[in-house]
Amino acid sequence: MHPRAGASLSRRRFLALSAAGGATGAAALSGCAMRVSSGVSGVGETVTVMAKADDFSPELIRQARKDLGVKIVTVRYDITKLIGMMTNGAPPDLVRGVGATDAPYFAARDVMEDLDPYFARSDVLRAGDLDPVNDLWRYDGRTQGKGPRYGMAKDFSQDSMFWYNTALFDEAGVGHPPETEPVTYEEWLEDARRLTRRRNGQTTVFGGSYQGVLTPNLLASLTASAGGNLFTDDFSRIDFTTPEARKALAWYVEYGRSRVGPSIVQPDPNAWDGPTYQAGRMAMSNSGYWLGGLINTDKKLAPLSRLAPAPLFAGGRRVSPCQAGTGFWMPKKAKNKDAAWRVFEWFFGEGPARARASGGWGIPTLKSLRPLMPAREDYQKRVLKVQNAELRHFSVIAFTPYASADSLYALFNQEAPAAMNGHMSVDTLAGRLNSVMNEQLKRGKEQVG
Amino acid sequence: MTATSLPPGSAPRVRVRAGRLVLYTVLVVATGLFVGPFGWLVLSGLKTPAELAASPVHWLPTHVQWHNFADAFNLIDFLGYARNSLIIATLYATLVTLSSAWVGFGFARLEAPGKKTLFGILIGSMMLPQMITLLPTYLIFAKLGMVDTYWPWVLWGLAAAPYLVFLFRQFFAGLPRELEEAAIVDGCGYGTIFWRIFLPQSWPVLSASFVIAFTWSWGDYIAPQLLLSTDRSTLAVAVMSTYVTSAGTPVANLQAAGSVMYVVPILLIFLVAQRGFVAGMSTSGLK
Repeated sequence: MHPRAGASLSRRRFLALSAAGGATGAAALSGCAMRVSSGVSGVGETVTVMAKADDFSPELIRQARKDLGVKIVTVRYDITKLIGMMTNGAPPDLVRGVGATDAPYFAARDVMEDLDPYFARSDVLRAGDLDPVNDLWRYDGRTQGKGPRYGMAKDFSQDSMFWYNTALFDEAGVGHPPETEPVTYEEWLEDARRLTRRRNGQTTVFGGSYQGVLTPNLLASLTASAGGNLFTDDFSRIDFTTPEARKALAWYVEYGRSRVGPSIVQPDPNAWDGPTYQAGRMAMSNSGYWLGGLINTDKKLAPLSRLAPAPLFAGGRRVSPCQAGTGFWMPKKAKNKDAAWRVFEWFFGEGPARARASGGWGIPTLKSLRPLMPAREDYQKRVLKVQNAELRHFSVIAFTPYASADSLYALFNQEAPAAMNGHMSVDTLAGRLNSVMNEQLKRGKEQVG
Repeated sequence: MTATSLPPGSAPRVRVRAGRLVLYTVLVVATGLFVGPFGWLVLSGLKTPAELAASPVHWLPTHVQWHNFADAFNLIDFLGYARNSLIIATLYATLVTLSSAWVGFGFARLEAPGKKTLFGILIGSMMLPQMITLLPTYLIFAKLGMVDTYWPWVLWGLAAAPYLVFLFRQFFAGLPRELEEAAIVDGCGYGTIFWRIFLPQSWPVLSASFVIAFTWSWGDYIAPQLLLSTDRSTLAVAVMSTYVTSAGTPVANLQAAGSVMYVVPILLIFLVAQRGFVAGMSTSGLK
């Protein structure tokens, strides 16, 4: 375009155009098809699910379309996005969550839909068929494990159990842990020390990894195993100075200090135990049944691997909790509740649930699906026997509703390295954790009311 | 041969050669430091998970796993995500380059009350961490009905970027005032001066700006993760979050293979535009 002679652009017009240009461009473009694709297409309804990649694969989404006639649109799980969507009054219809920690947190904030009426009507998800692990998704306004159901776990493990590699035990001349009776945490740590191999200052074989799912849940589980509770009865405060909690904390600090396994002061570059265990570089891995999904695919490793019960502290009590219970919940302001429930039923009780049960990556959350758990090979039968015996010791360890596990985890990671590096005593650490975490819990309680 | 037996004039030549040897050694080491991580990424993409976790470290794969690249390509809709990334990055880079040039021109060549303060505010806004504005940004776009569309990138593009504005301002401020005066005498307005005289002169900065903006957008994880649904998201988000086992744990060798393929377009663009990029950075007073 050529400029008209004499029609010079003044400074004022230039600045005005700068502002107007953007608006005009945007207005012109609004007529274009900028939306990458339309919302609902074809028959059926659309359900928006906030999930991670492993929850809803493209194949599963296609299967849902075929089985239910429902279109599933996924948005990747992101807590910032979830808060944004809820604040905007348009939350997803189903949201991924960790039952052990998310259920009390969100239920206390009254953003979860009570699913009891849906369960009562369902022919697929019957109350009598629900595994007790689903109680992680119950909350009565005070305690987790009681009251209405707000969600359901897709599968689970008893996360204080551990796998071990018999070949590494034999090489080190260490006796195998029993598969029927638990070892004590003190014995576990001693074995880990004997199994650890180092060369030129580098750890070539980790004696044992014991990190739990998320440190706050792990510490709550360890404290329960020592016979106490990490939280006060009303869950408004945390106390690391009780004898049981201090014992649990001291053990975990010693685990980090001894460098027998990955920790915040000695992170594993692989970020999780699977590849390290598979490479024969980890003698014990604190992973529940779910790690069998990986182990079973390795025909050399599987016969060498054993699953052992959750340890307990000397003089403590035998508990074997689930520290995750990952599943889905429905926001109270979900737009499409009935269709979302149909997807919920299908995901937790029909084809996808059966596929997960036979995959070996976790224990099914419906009792009726347990016969589908892998039991063809001898090593699978052996693992299953140990796992079935362990189910008797399952219990829900209630978590506080006043802080997210992530926030407590961040506070722990801020304080604990000094103790794990030997620069701070366990008692000082306990005091500091009490101080910073209780401040966080106090703020949460003020929010919840 | 001793130093005393060297012919006249050979000592300076030896010094020059020794100097070059040192220079090349330093350059090779520096190149190794920069290329090393990418090389390690390529090697990681050619190993099995167990080999990746081995200790002592296996520098080279025992059996090269070429199929990792095919698996990484096929496991996700790689081309679909790459297309989304390409659309977003091209759209944003083009718009933000033009709008930043426009704003930079204004700051460089026009006088207005409060210009310096405005420029200071603009540059100061670079210090604002993206995390702080995440939630408000989401809410604004949600209210405007722009979530799960590419409109936010259009608006961000039209709004100019402070760093690029600074780049253009520096370049335009360095052009002779006579150019502008001659054009005004010939009857041109500032729009014409910008479009027909200044912009054609600024190819090096345009090129640098486009490469920088394209790379920002191509590599951005947070905005697409926040604003787009899974199918409409970008390669950066897919590569980071999709190569996982059934239990959600990462598959590092596929992540590495996918990451190698993910950075290839950026490398190609840089190779094509590097001459302009370097010239752009050096002519804007930022070298």
